[in-house]
Amino acid sequence: MNDTQMNSTDTPLLSVRDLKVHFPFRRGSLFNSQKGVIRAVDGISFDIARGETLGLVGESGCGKSTTARAIINLVSPTSGDVRVDGVSIAGMSDAAMLPYRRRVQMVFQDPFASLNPRMTVGGIIGEPLVVHSLARGRDRKLEVLRLMELVGLNPRFLNRYPHEFSGGQRQRIGIARALAVQPDLILCDEPVSALDVSIQAQIINLLMDLQQKLGLSYLFIAHDLAIVRHIATRVGVMYLGRIVELAKSEDLYAGPKHPYTEALLSAVPVPDPEIASKRQRIVLSGEVPSPDVYYPGCAFADRCPVKIDRCITDRPELPPKNHAAACWVREEALTAKSAQTN
Amino acid sequence: MTQTDPQNTTTATESSQTKSSDEPILRVNDLHVSFKTDEGMVRAVRGVSFDVRAGETVAIVGESGSGKSVTNLAMMGLVPKPPGNIDSGQAFFGGRDLLSMSDRGLQSVRGRHIAMIFQDPMTALNPLMTVEQQLTEMTRLHLSLTRHDARKRAIEMLGLVGITAPEKRLRDYPHQFSGGMRQRVMIAMALSCEPELLIADEPTTALDVTIQAQIMELLADLQARKGTAIVLITHDLGVVAGVADRVLVMYAGRIVEKADVRSLFAAPQHPYTIGLLGSLPNVESNRDEPLAAIPGQPPDLSQPIVGCSFRDRCEHRFERCQTDDPILTPRESLGSEPHLAACHADVNTGETRQ
Repeated sequence: MNDTQMNSTDTPLLSVRDLKVHFPFRRGSLFNSQKGVIRAVDGISFDIARGETLGLVGESGCGKSTTARAIINLVSPTSGDVRVDGVSIAGMSDAAMLPYRRRVQMVFQDPFASLNPRMTVGGIIGEPLVVHSLARGRDRKLEVLRLMELVGLNPRFLNRYPHEFSGGQRQRIGIARALAVQPDLILCDEPVSALDVSIQAQIINLLMDLQQKLGLSYLFIAHDLAIVRHIATRVGVMYLGRIVELAKSEDLYAGPKHPYTEALLSAVPVPDPEIASKRQRIVLSGEVPSPDVYYPGCAFADRCPVKIDRCITDRPELPPKNHAAACWVREEALTAKSAQTN
Repeated sequence: MTQTDPQNTTTATESSQTKSSDEPILRVNDLHVSFKTDEGMVRAVRGVSFDVRAGETVAIVGESGSGKSVTNLAMMGLVPKPPGNIDSGQAFFGGRDLLSMSDRGLQSVRGRHIAMIFQDPMTALNPLMTVEQQLTEMTRLHLSLTRHDARKRAIEMLGLVGITAPEKRLRDYPHQFSGGMRQRVMIAMALSCEPELLIADEPTTALDVTIQAQIMELLADLQARKGTAIVLITHDLGVVAGVADRVLVMYAGRIVEKADVRSLFAAPQHPYTIGLLGSLPNVESNRDEPLAAIPGQPPDLSQPIVGCSFRDRCEHRFERCQTDDPILTPRESLGSEPHLAACHADVNTGETRQ
């Protein structure tokens, strides 16, 4: 796929360990100010294998986008490690990062804001080829045309500007730009949430088709659980800067363990009136708390229907399991059960 | 009302099958709305007719630009003129045509009898006024309540929509509320005069799923208690399946399918509705199979549309679809309400209908 040397296949393509992104803030008046810290991402760990799609779901403000941005250093991680093929890139200088940026690309949510309105489609898709000195002159143009075809854009549109395209087509331009440098991993940050339903399916199909053709890996960030279920092989559920459950997609949707995942899944509207009328919804009280408050225990405890005393004081961690939940109540039951089967 | 237009005929069929006690409280008749833009005249709504009965929830589903919001803005006299213009049509509410009413007349209806909640509560609430000022403004104006009574009513309404310590929160400004709480304030405001009809335009789109569930539950609960009719405008078929009684599917400024919620989801009759439902990943969808995406894009409404507006994206199209725009005709309904679709094809057989 790529001319950078491959390490042994045992090493995950991307490995994130105890990643934290904290934003210090100051509020109040000049003389009476309080200092605090927003814990946007607060110690998360996961791997992404070659050819795999890891879905990251959660509500607004849970830190899923910040996680993606921290992986490619668009925001600096406060602590923790990010490895691409075993090489640590967290906190690297921009110059040293360049070869890794080629391997890890990003597709953004808003196809209106993420494309330069003064550049033509050809210029936008060709720019990474210039930055990484991959092709010039006629070769570059041919490569751009090949990419346009690959993502289903008519090559006749080479010299058009972004405003002449619809949302779905713009997202195709963003995908072509990401593919230009032949990356191994694409971080997709809500790539379809700004699109209409009938267009969403087109883009999801395109992403899955490209994955098959090119052997890509994706980190797929979304708040739409039905779409993540369709595209992701494994899914991580985030709440207030932490991953509370991580499992294979089928397992997570069939039997969620964390009470938050349960509530989240039960709140997803089902497009079927028969099922919708019979379904038991877990309607959570309250809202996601502010990430500027430090919780010594489980951050979900305030809203949790099954909490015990320990949840207020001790912070649950994700156990090293295939289907892991960071929950004192549910994980105990799990340990007992899996101890029998093993 | 004379029934000359083909779309009116369908409305007549519909109401003739309903009991006389179910007289519609709102009847929209052949509404046409256009906007003058740099690209030409955009025909945003091209002949829309529907009824809403007391206490029921009618969902209007469609994608951006399908005309679902403009239809409702037009009824409320909220289409900016220019560039907008209501070319023709009527919207009868309580025996009066909203579209030919004076601004003054409309003001006595808006907020009092028909209330509206919007997608983005931050742009609908006044950031410079406290919640108390905004909540009491309407009741003092429409119900002529005294300051004291209006305040009591505001506290009662905030409590009703599930805001804790309402007396304290009355003094707060909109920015001091979270997204879900602001949407609750809007609902409290909209319902404070006990309107007969509530138009909810994407009320939960900006909210997270767990908060969305809370808000939809709240609306259903208030509807059950007060008997308010709701017109729910949304693109989310999941929300529709959960709360609607009847559904109107809009495409390119027209209603292409109209049905009982169960009948629509169990046996959709228009290729666009079928496509929309197919685009959604569901429990049975297989990762190895691509989603049934609808190819292409909606038509450019600044260009005149001859024939069916969906034909370029349709797998059932015939020659006839190029020239004749199909009207809504009755199909077999699996629910208690009639099921109508505007399509020349019989989607069950793929054959053309006579």
